[in-house]
Amino acid sequence: MAETTRDVTIAHRPFTLRVSQIERAMRGVLPEPVKDHFVVVNGRRYPPKQVLLQVTGLERAELTTHHARRILTGLGFPAGRRAREREALAGTGTARRRALPSEQGASTSRTGSRRRAFRSRASAATLEPFVGHWVATKGDEVLVAALQPHAVVGWLAQHNQQADSMFRVPDDEHEASGAAPL
Amino acid sequence: MIDLVVEGLDLAPQACLLDTGATDVRMGYHVADLAGIDLEGALVSDIVVGGLRTTGYGATIQLELRQGRDSHTWSPTVYFCDPWPWGFGLLGLSGLDPFLLTVNAYEEWIDLKPH
Repeated sequence: MAETTRDVTIAHRPFTLRVSQIERAMRGVLPEPVKDHFVVVNGRRYPPKQVLLQVTGLERAELTTHHARRILTGLGFPAGRRAREREALAGTGTARRRALPSEQGASTSRTGSRRRAFRSRASAATLEPFVGHWVATKGDEVLVAALQPHAVVGWLAQHNQQADSMFRVPDDEHEASGAAPL
Repeated sequence: MIDLVVEGLDLAPQACLLDTGATDVRMGYHVADLAGIDLEGALVSDIVVGGLRTTGYGATIQLELRQGRDSHTWSPTVYFCDPWPWGFGLLGLSGLDPFLLTVNAYEEWIDLKPH
């Protein structure tokens, strides 16, 4: 099957972009924080501008997010918008829940059990592309993933980001349950 | 899982598995590196965790549990272990001394209340 190729003009300069070229260029590149729009390359979310800047070598001011997104979706990369942070309540989701001291005196639900606030967590589907990687998550999103924990913390510091949680995504069920590797 | 700020490393709270079958708090040695914790003169002990023999370097450090504007800080002994093949820490019961812990497995919630 022929590879998707697109001839585009950015900042008055012509470029021929290929899907494989973009995937190759982004391999091992840590995503910058996604503020709103993102595209998915190699199973990871990137700001559209970051991808095109990496591939073309252009300056940040030479293209807009919308332009970058249009070009990349035209090549077939999935795109989306970051969901707003949301507070979930017990009984409305399947995420692992937790309750903290602040919830003392929480209201009572119809079933008679105490209603407890909890932070949403990244789902198994969200974490699946990062198996074996260290990740920093915020709400149900992965902020950054890397093979070394120092790279994750370095990225958080560099981008002035604060995660809710940092851990390595387990390779298998045994690891997730706390059993030692054989 | 419970996310704990280790010795002020608040940009990356460390995920810890609540382990009611363990007595101590154990984390990977890399966490001490990340948080800049000096383990010179630490209590060294050989321990077995989940079937794995490892060496733990114990230090009394500050842990912080946060949610929203609320937080609770305490200072247990934490063992930083090498090797540590898991991607999370283990929060044993001695690490929870300042709390009353309630586990509701059926409804999938836990409750930690400071004494």
